[in-house]
Amino acid sequence: MKHFTHRRHLTARPVIVALAAAMALTASGCAKSEDDAANKSDSSASAADAGQKVVTPKPGSKGCTIDAYGGKKLDLKNATVGFSQSEKEANPFRIAETASIKAEASKRGLKLLTANAQSQFSKQISDVQDLLAKGADLLVIAPLNSDGWEPVLKAAAAKKVPIVTIDRKINAAACKDYVSFIASDFVDQGKRAADQMIEATGGKGEVAILLGAAGNNVTTERTKGFKDRIKEKAPDLKVVFQQTGDFAREKGQQVTEQLIQSKPGIKGIYAENDEMGLGAVAALKGAGKKAGDVKIVTVDGTRNAVQGIVDGWISGVIESNPRFGPLAFQTLDTFTQGKEVPQDVIIQDGSYDAKNAKSDIGKAF
Amino acid sequence: MAEAAIRPAALDRARVLQWMQTYGVYAGVAVLLVVNIAVTPHFLSAENFRTQAVQVAPVIIVALGMALAIGTEGIDLSVGAVMALAASVTALYLGYGLVPALLTVAVFAAVVGLANGALVAWVGVQPIVATLALMVGGRGIALVLLPQLKDLHNPALASLGSGDVLGIPYLIVIAAALALLVAFVIRRTTFGRQLLAIGDNRAAAKLAGLPVRRVLMLVYVACALLAAVAGVLATARLQASDPTSLGNLMELSAITAVVVGGTPLSGGRVNIAGTVAGAVLIQLLTATLIKHDLPPSWTQIAQAIVIVLAVYAARGRGKR
Repeated sequence: MKHFTHRRHLTARPVIVALAAAMALTASGCAKSEDDAANKSDSSASAADAGQKVVTPKPGSKGCTIDAYGGKKLDLKNATVGFSQSEKEANPFRIAETASIKAEASKRGLKLLTANAQSQFSKQISDVQDLLAKGADLLVIAPLNSDGWEPVLKAAAAKKVPIVTIDRKINAAACKDYVSFIASDFVDQGKRAADQMIEATGGKGEVAILLGAAGNNVTTERTKGFKDRIKEKAPDLKVVFQQTGDFAREKGQQVTEQLIQSKPGIKGIYAENDEMGLGAVAALKGAGKKAGDVKIVTVDGTRNAVQGIVDGWISGVIESNPRFGPLAFQTLDTFTQGKEVPQDVIIQDGSYDAKNAKSDIGKAF
Repeated sequence: MAEAAIRPAALDRARVLQWMQTYGVYAGVAVLLVVNIAVTPHFLSAENFRTQAVQVAPVIIVALGMALAIGTEGIDLSVGAVMALAASVTALYLGYGLVPALLTVAVFAAVVGLANGALVAWVGVQPIVATLALMVGGRGIALVLLPQLKDLHNPALASLGSGDVLGIPYLIVIAAALALLVAFVIRRTTFGRQLLAIGDNRAAAKLAGLPVRRVLMLVYVACALLAAVAGVLATARLQASDPTSLGNLMELSAITAVVVGGTPLSGGRVNIAGTVAGAVLIQLLTATLIKHDLPPSWTQIAQAIVIVLAVYAARGRGKR
């Protein structure tokens, strides 16, 4: 549906705008949602000790310096940083990611320009060009796609603007088209999810996978890691079902409902994000199952999923840490001082299980 | 000689196509049921039929409204967005209790329906364009109101989503009641006849003095209200309001159900039983492929084949 978003009929536009304004005003004016103050603990305080840690770089991994890249040294305090976000901040990951970038920028007292591509790659390209035109000295990009970055990189290279990409790599030459990328290892997340699944099920029986959106590298890599590790460590654990839940809770619920009826003996469900895992929980509850009947392992580390471990419905959650702010700015700071930074910065993600869920829930996002 | 040889064959083909358009969807449902009972483990169980019915109920409800719009030779692409809007508004107003929240949802849906209807009936925008605007704008409003998924804990809402009467889930009861109501309106009321007359020939209906604009407005309001009911039920079932993804591509599922069910896009005729069967057919098709763990892309291909067959069958009649 996303490709429709830029098409609006001229006649219709004023009507829609007026309608939208009227509805938004009315609704926010007298809305009263359920009281959930209890759920809203102060995440900024607890996030302090939930920052990202870097996996020690492998010996021989390359670095990048400002002399090799081109450009001039500058003091980060006086710099303007442009941040291009890929998707709407409508899911916990993106919300936490943007908040982390903004928090770190204001902590360091530098000027931050932000843009959001709303899941449209063409918009992200023009967003980045806008940020450059508005005078960004440095760029932090959360890319929507890995490919198609040539036009932007050319413009940035001409201005010698250092770029750091977060959460996804772009297919271009490191230390030439961009400085470095900071991301989780999605294959490794899948492997660690498999370890938790093996432990929860005892390494025997049939398990299912709720896949993420098709054609997404996160889906492919989280699937690969999981299946490889199962094959290697627990050959008696069989993946008998893998269907897409599109990273959405309702789809996860619907697919799980079909699954538990056609394969009542299923022992575990690996959901490639928390939302689908929570959908699976809803389906199991609806079918009258008890907590722990089917072992669920998910990836992300949102507060709801970690609470699911405390409640007994979820066995384990592998974290995919969205708090890129400190590491991204630290990398830019080191780089602009003229020191060497690594080209690939891989984050060490945490994990949650029955042992630490209660004590560490404050780290969840 | 040659002519005589061709003629009966052509007649035969027309008859086959006509049969396909009217009864094909029921035959399809029957075939899928038989095949699944034969080859799918644990298919023949009350629990399974309950699951399929509960999952298809929101699609049926949306498709009922879509059938009305298509009956007027229109279409409503904003139904998925209205579902998302219903989810947002439910979450925002649940603090007042379930009934006030539902009434507010109805007001919002009615406003969207009136906007659609006004654009179509008064401004004269083509339905596909008018409702496309609200398909985009409606989800936008939904996300402004509630930017991210919110868990809901209201017990009344939860029981609406998972409770039942005499062992039949509310979702199924509500979908069945609405299907009967819409079928009655189409067949037995003046409004129903006027709707079909407008779909058949809008100019003639106008010349005959029918209240064309009022009927069109009501049709789009009804369509939006039905979509809102589906949105509330899906939200109740999930016990969470998810305006980002709720109702995504629902407009396509609903249109497919209507067309596969034998209602022509050219308007003037509405087949409610067929629409229900069309939604069931797609549900069974999806369930079959999921239960046998076939690649998800196959579901889309299978749906496409069903649509092509339905449109091919419809070509046999067309608009006079």
